[in-house]
Amino acid sequence: MSSDSKFSGSKILLVEDEETLASGLEYNLTEEGYAVTWAENGKKALELFQAQVFDMIILDIMLPYIGGFELARKIREESPHMPILMLTARTKVKDRVKGLEIGADDYLTKPFHLEELLARIRVILRRKQWYQSSSETVPVYRFGNNEVNFKNLSCRAGKKQIRLTYQEAMVLKYLIDHKGKIVSRKELLEKVWDMSPEVETRTVDNFIMRLRKYFEPDSSDPVYFKSIRGAGYMFVNNY
Amino acid sequence: MNKKRFAFRSILIFVIAQAAWFSLLGLWIYRYISSHIILSKVDDSLSAQIMSKGANIFTLVFGCVLFIAVSMGMSLIFRNLTVQYKLTKLYDDFLANVTHELRTPLASIQLHLETLKGRNIPLPKQKKFIDMMLKDANRLKRLIDSILEIAGLEQKKAVYQCKVFNADAVIKGLVEEARIQFKLPEEAVHIEGHADCEFVINKDAFKILIDNLIDNAVKYTKNQLRIRVVLKCTRKKLIIEFADNGIGIAPKDLKKIFKKFHRISHPDVPNVKGTGLGLYWAKEIVKYHGGKIRAVSQANGAMFRIELPVYYVSKKHYLNRLLKSKKRMKF
Repeated sequence: MSSDSKFSGSKILLVEDEETLASGLEYNLTEEGYAVTWAENGKKALELFQAQVFDMIILDIMLPYIGGFELARKIREESPHMPILMLTARTKVKDRVKGLEIGADDYLTKPFHLEELLARIRVILRRKQWYQSSSETVPVYRFGNNEVNFKNLSCRAGKKQIRLTYQEAMVLKYLIDHKGKIVSRKELLEKVWDMSPEVETRTVDNFIMRLRKYFEPDSSDPVYFKSIRGAGYMFVNNY
Repeated sequence: MNKKRFAFRSILIFVIAQAAWFSLLGLWIYRYISSHIILSKVDDSLSAQIMSKGANIFTLVFGCVLFIAVSMGMSLIFRNLTVQYKLTKLYDDFLANVTHELRTPLASIQLHLETLKGRNIPLPKQKKFIDMMLKDANRLKRLIDSILEIAGLEQKKAVYQCKVFNADAVIKGLVEEARIQFKLPEEAVHIEGHADCEFVINKDAFKILIDNLIDNAVKYTKNQLRIRVVLKCTRKKLIIEFADNGIGIAPKDLKKIFKKFHRISHPDVPNVKGTGLGLYWAKEIVKYHGGKIRAVSQANGAMFRIELPVYYVSKKHYLNRLLKSKKRMKF
């Protein structure tokens, strides 16, 4: 198994109610050098999350007491930057879309390959690091009457004050970093979510719709987040 | 979302159709009465020719009966559709639950196998991993068995090989086995009374029944679990009362819980996993052995009362048939 010593010691909260699976995961993650804390239900996970600092969370959906979706929502409210990987037996597209829209960084279905899970964890931790360093160099970005603070995810859109989710901020950051260039849905899924494009491109469209609603003067006639027919989206800032 | 829309549309069509029928009926009655008033004012000599009272009233009454019949027919069709809709929803939930119950142990087995293949693991840890895999394999087996055996029982294809047993020894033994299997402390299960009679059962099937009741108690108990089993034999019946200190069963659910796929949701124990087959299976097993099971409402926790016929060689034809039945499915 390949490990990345850069992330060794990263603290992972593992939320899984199936004892056998949790024990196998705990062993492997510990072998990879991560510090793992296991929570067997949603209630305990929330208590641990509020009491300790973690670098990422691996989250099952069907959990006793507090379900995975609800827990992800609560975690997002308190910590918009916290990376979440949903690891679940729910395979339906609507569940994936729901998970990603709540703010999960990745969604992996059971049964899974160990190598794939470890690779995805590394990508999430790397992306978190990229976002942290990149938001430190350019913490605030302005376009039109809008101002986005990538560090605390707070935004000003005209007179409105908005707080972005971590995923929304990542999509926005990626589009801003590629200003004036066409970014395909496939590219956004691969780069922001590290997902295969066949998963669901609708997720990307939903995120763009939300960004338009926040920042465009008229979301039906966008000037910043333009749709390029058959190609994807382009961020334009000539104002 | 689509299902909700479908249900809403069905209800709307039904309401509109009913409103249309009754408006038409009202219109018809109004027309009849107004025509009647006009015609009654016409000269007597003419009215006698125009109005044939008997025929008109017959048409009106017969028309009303037809309308009511059509309306009732529509209501019945609508009721059947609602039942079908509920059944489909239950079945969808069941499929989602079964998928989850299949995928999770499979994921665990795959994870442990890949770990064994990819890492150098010390021997004691390897043994622990193998134990975990066996546990998951057993869980998969139980789930697959439950689906196949229930199908067999429903289609009356299942035939358990039954024998005569001493009820006291068998039930106490199976309860103890289940206690160990579910890792419950000794004080969690308390057996009262004696069942010094004989009954005719298939021991494996009866083990499933006891396991399902204990599994149910474990899943639906929030605090420290306490199970009380009371055994009693009358002249004709063996009575087993199985009570726990869990969340209990609401009176409206007492019968429903034995229905296929039906599951209880309770805020004290949210997101309980399962397939909704456990108690249905228990009921089918008891029924197969010529007995009855029912849930009883009580102040704290749930109580199940099982009645099984006591074995009499000369009188109980059903039990003798059970003893003679040939093996058709492997149980």
